[in-house]
Amino acid sequence: MIRYTLRRLILLFVTLWLLTVFLFALNYFFPGDALTNMTGVRASDALAYQRLVSERGFDSSLFSQYLAFLGHFISGDWGQSLSTQRDVFTDLLPLLGATLELSVLAMALAMAIGAPLGLYAAGQQRGSMDRVVMGLSLSAYSIPVFWLAQLFILFFAVKLGWTPISSQVNPLFDIDVQSGSILLDILLSNSPYKGAALADAINHLWLPVIVLAIMPATMLMRITRNSMLEVLQQNYIRSARARGLSETRILLRHALPNAMQPVVRQLGLMFSILMSNIIVTEVIFNWPGVGSWLVKSIYERDYPVMQGGLFAIAALILLVNVAVELFHAWRYPQVRKELYAER
Amino acid sequence: MRFSQIAIVVPFATLSALLSGCSPAVHDAAPLQEGIVYCSEGNPESFNPQLGTSGTTIDASSAQLYDRLIDYDETQQAFVPALATAWQALDKGKRYRFSLRDDVQFHSTPWFTPTRSFNADDVVFSFRRWLHEDHPYHNVNGGSYPFFTASGLNKLITQVRAIDSHTVEFELARSDSSFLANLATDFAIILSAEYGAELLARGTPAQLDKRPIGTGPFVFEDFRKDLIIRYRSHDNYWREPAAIKQLVYSITQSANKRMLKLLTGECDVIPYPLVEELALLDTGDEIKITSTVNPNIAFWAFNTERPPFDNVKVRRALAHAVNRQAIIQTVYNGNARLATGILPETSWAYSPVDLTYGYNPERARELLAEAGFPEGFSFDIWAMPVQRAYNPNAQKMAELIQADLAQVGVQANIVSYEWNAFRRRLARDEHDSVLIGWIADNADPDNFFRPLLSCAALNVGTNRANWCDPKFDELILRAITVDSLERRKGFYHEAENWIYREVPLVPIANSMRFQAFRSDIHGVEVPAYGGLSFRHAYRQSQASAAVSEEQQ
Repeated sequence: MIRYTLRRLILLFVTLWLLTVFLFALNYFFPGDALTNMTGVRASDALAYQRLVSERGFDSSLFSQYLAFLGHFISGDWGQSLSTQRDVFTDLLPLLGATLELSVLAMALAMAIGAPLGLYAAGQQRGSMDRVVMGLSLSAYSIPVFWLAQLFILFFAVKLGWTPISSQVNPLFDIDVQSGSILLDILLSNSPYKGAALADAINHLWLPVIVLAIMPATMLMRITRNSMLEVLQQNYIRSARARGLSETRILLRHALPNAMQPVVRQLGLMFSILMSNIIVTEVIFNWPGVGSWLVKSIYERDYPVMQGGLFAIAALILLVNVAVELFHAWRYPQVRKELYAER
Repeated sequence: MRFSQIAIVVPFATLSALLSGCSPAVHDAAPLQEGIVYCSEGNPESFNPQLGTSGTTIDASSAQLYDRLIDYDETQQAFVPALATAWQALDKGKRYRFSLRDDVQFHSTPWFTPTRSFNADDVVFSFRRWLHEDHPYHNVNGGSYPFFTASGLNKLITQVRAIDSHTVEFELARSDSSFLANLATDFAIILSAEYGAELLARGTPAQLDKRPIGTGPFVFEDFRKDLIIRYRSHDNYWREPAAIKQLVYSITQSANKRMLKLLTGECDVIPYPLVEELALLDTGDEIKITSTVNPNIAFWAFNTERPPFDNVKVRRALAHAVNRQAIIQTVYNGNARLATGILPETSWAYSPVDLTYGYNPERARELLAEAGFPEGFSFDIWAMPVQRAYNPNAQKMAELIQADLAQVGVQANIVSYEWNAFRRRLARDEHDSVLIGWIADNADPDNFFRPLLSCAALNVGTNRANWCDPKFDELILRAITVDSLERRKGFYHEAENWIYREVPLVPIANSMRFQAFRSDIHGVEVPAYGGLSFRHAYRQSQASAAVSEEQQ
């Protein structure tokens, strides 16, 4: 396990390092001045610009420029926005919190819906309910998220008037932005209206969470069903049945844990899909997250912000994938054995 | 099978738990009753209207954060006291003396606590900032003061000085009938000199326009780009404090999204609504739409420095080629008036003679041939990415013009950028032609001519035609140096005629300015000249609404 962990972590660092090389290179490929693209300081601000030229190694070789870039990058100096002159890294943190909140909730909901329905379908194999569940999952899987979001907004918000359609909470609840995650921020705040604000925040949350959860939930349903069916074919299930164990006990104690193994393996992939959907969803719901921030920066050609957003999203996906892989290997020894046997 | 029951119950239990979270929104919590959400159409460039002419910036700053020396009262059609209690013209209008109020407090915020109340130093500081190039703040945050340069105020005022702690005196280069009108605009606001000095000492002068301190009815709290601007009411306001405790601008760029948010109740007030669509969607009586006559003009300006637009025949040909009546119908849904010149009907100097070119593709082709372009040519039309009071959809307008021009063999390409980038590039004269417009800042007709077409306005980003004609400048200069309204009117008419001859721009339409409100919101003011004001705005709570219904 230690060797495997080390291997994964080294791979993670190498990938992150390659990402920084890519970001560094982008500064030169973007139109305009490379130093401005990197730091957000324009040449018209002569004093600050001159200071940066030496600080960022722009008076010497490309290699020393990269080293300076890496140093600043690691220490959290990601430059300033070209349009607001605000520090990119400080602006990023609360946005990341908002994005994480949305993705974690959507992922949790997807698991709460997808896995049990998959198991249910497996139990009803070839039965009519199996077909209904699988049919629903296939059609839900084929709906693009931007269309689904608009449809839900029209139906739940405009037609029924059940829910608001933008941002995290009614702005009149003056909640200080600390972590960016609205539920946490409300709990941390000293607002006298915590209860009402919390209810309002949940009211803002549920629609985007459902929109986001649908795609991974349908994937989970199909994976869970298939792996459950496979496990039920295994000899140890047959022998458990022969020993006369109750069906519920067989399913819960013997089949389910093993059936979840391929499901866990897919969680990383699902998270990547979720992240690309989250960008669209954030834009539609005016969610103050990294996704909508990145899209805005592209419109405004705000290169320092673009790099920050790109790195944050890419790094998040990488981290989650590695974490899922490590958990997978730790939880299922047979996977570990396979991994080492390959070498 | 019991297990399958569990399997099916869990997801539905989760979903229904979630849906039960969506109980009808909480409306009775105190903060929701005591505040108003205004869904503005974009980010302000700064919080100091001196630095720009964008309506978005003015709406977010002038009337909310600051006060002026004098105000213009539309109902009385007269100047009324604001920070100045009285004023007198001396030396035949070449010197103005203002007496100031002594009970005016500046905002007290976490980043600045004023130690004294408003006095003459603040007025001197605010005016000298843009007046004197050697002022320590002159070059802070861009150093460009488009309104003051374009209106010629920076040349007109030669000196501002404090006579005593509550009297200031302005010395003018010549007597000018538009001086008071310019002081009553949203641009001539008063900053805090004490705050300025403190920021200089701290070495962060740029904060002056980003974390504003003023005397206005609202105190700035927070701004998150693309998301929110937060204000709270100023408790020590020298007039009656605002009726609401909180004011929030929720920045919503898409007109469609604004409309939906108004319907769901997330916005209380929205600017530039899609009037037709809203009328269709609003089946109850939850939403009111009001329109105000707005002194504005939408026009199509040619960059007269660039060939082929340096040739007046080309400009006339293009003016003939465009079917403006069709634009009024399609872009404005008929809610606008076909412009007959630069001045709108609301101006006292307006004359009813139509000084525009009629739709005549034949004549356009002839003129193009005479100008040496029988085969036509190709150029760019820049279309604004945002709605303004004068133009709800520049993109659509550009498409119509593009189609009209294709009829006479001219190929137009439509270009657009994000709004702030668009204005920056325009100011650098990167355009061939642009669809834009102007909203008057004061009641003086001069405000339509000098900022838009004078030589002084060339490099400050308001003269979109890049046009400088000494004869025209002379006309509008003479118009402001005489006092008689009739004679001024004559000069402005001549100036309009000159524009008709030279066609630096094609006037298109004078539009109404629309606002949509939730019906429980009252008292939002949309003055004809200048930005929105929330000073008198309030929300009629359900309880008091019931009472007033009973009384009826």
